Amino acid sequence: MTAQELSVRNKQEVTREEPTRPGRTYMPDVDIYETGDRLWLWADMPGVDEQSVQVNLVNGVLTLSGQVSLKDYENLAPVYTEYNVGNYVRRFTLSDTIDPNRITARMTNGVLELELPKAERAKPRKIDVAVS
Amino acid sequence: MTLFRFGSDLDPVNSLLRLQREMERAFEHPLGIDLGLSGRGVFPPVNVFSDREGYVVRLEVPGIDPAHINIETHGRTLTVSGKRELKPAEGGSFHRRERNEGQFSRSIQLPQDLDLEHADAACKHGVLTIRVPKREEAKPRQITVKAA
Repeated sequence: MTAQELSVRNKQEVTREEPTRPGRTYMPDVDIYETGDRLWLWADMPGVDEQSVQVNLVNGVLTLSGQVSLKDYENLAPVYTEYNVGNYVRRFTLSDTIDPNRITARMTNGVLELELPKAERAKPRKIDVAVS
Repeated sequence: MTLFRFGSDLDPVNSLLRLQREMERAFEHPLGIDLGLSGRGVFPPVNVFSDREGYVVRLEVPGIDPAHINIETHGRTLTVSGKRELKPAEGGSFHRRERNEGQFSRSIQLPQDLDLEHADAACKHGVLTIRVPKREEAKPRQITVKAA
């Protein structure tokens, strides 16, 4: 691959839902990738540590949320800003093919990685055609 | 310039609101210090703060291994560069692809009274923080009044 310049995707503020807490909340950028037996999801949540991230699956709705730490902003006065900070939230509706008990999550360098294995019955099956 | 406290003694919701408002104000009305930045929209996004000790430059670099970030100084210029590589995808397909990969480089020109030789950097949870102290002679000093 040639050297591609990275550009910034401006943070998308969550505006559609009724906020449950004041302040700006942003939607993390997400990649969702599917292989034969599982889904992978990666969400960019810079500033969120593994203690401050929640992943919930309720009635087929997967909710990712993360809180930034304000400790690192103590006693600082902004001089120039290109982005704002805020908590993250994003929801996805999952088909019932995911096995909720086997979802695993890990946080690395501000990226939440979810591994969502498919339930046995949803895995692709090869059906042999019998020659008559 | 107002120096706000976002202390742990304050209620977190109010602290976040205040921080967000302050940052928005700085977005709309930067303090007129020419940082020589190439402009908004270039990765990674940069925020610059000041405190009593000097400047704090903060960049959002999620998914980048801190070992693969280069920070160089040249005179008054601070340059942060590197490459963001995402996990190689094999044998599957993307349903959603909002994150991208590639190379980046950003330079910031810092005011004369800062001491780049004593800058230090830390990368935590996808946020790179570079602290650049003021030169000794530029630091605030207390002057004691001698009794005559």
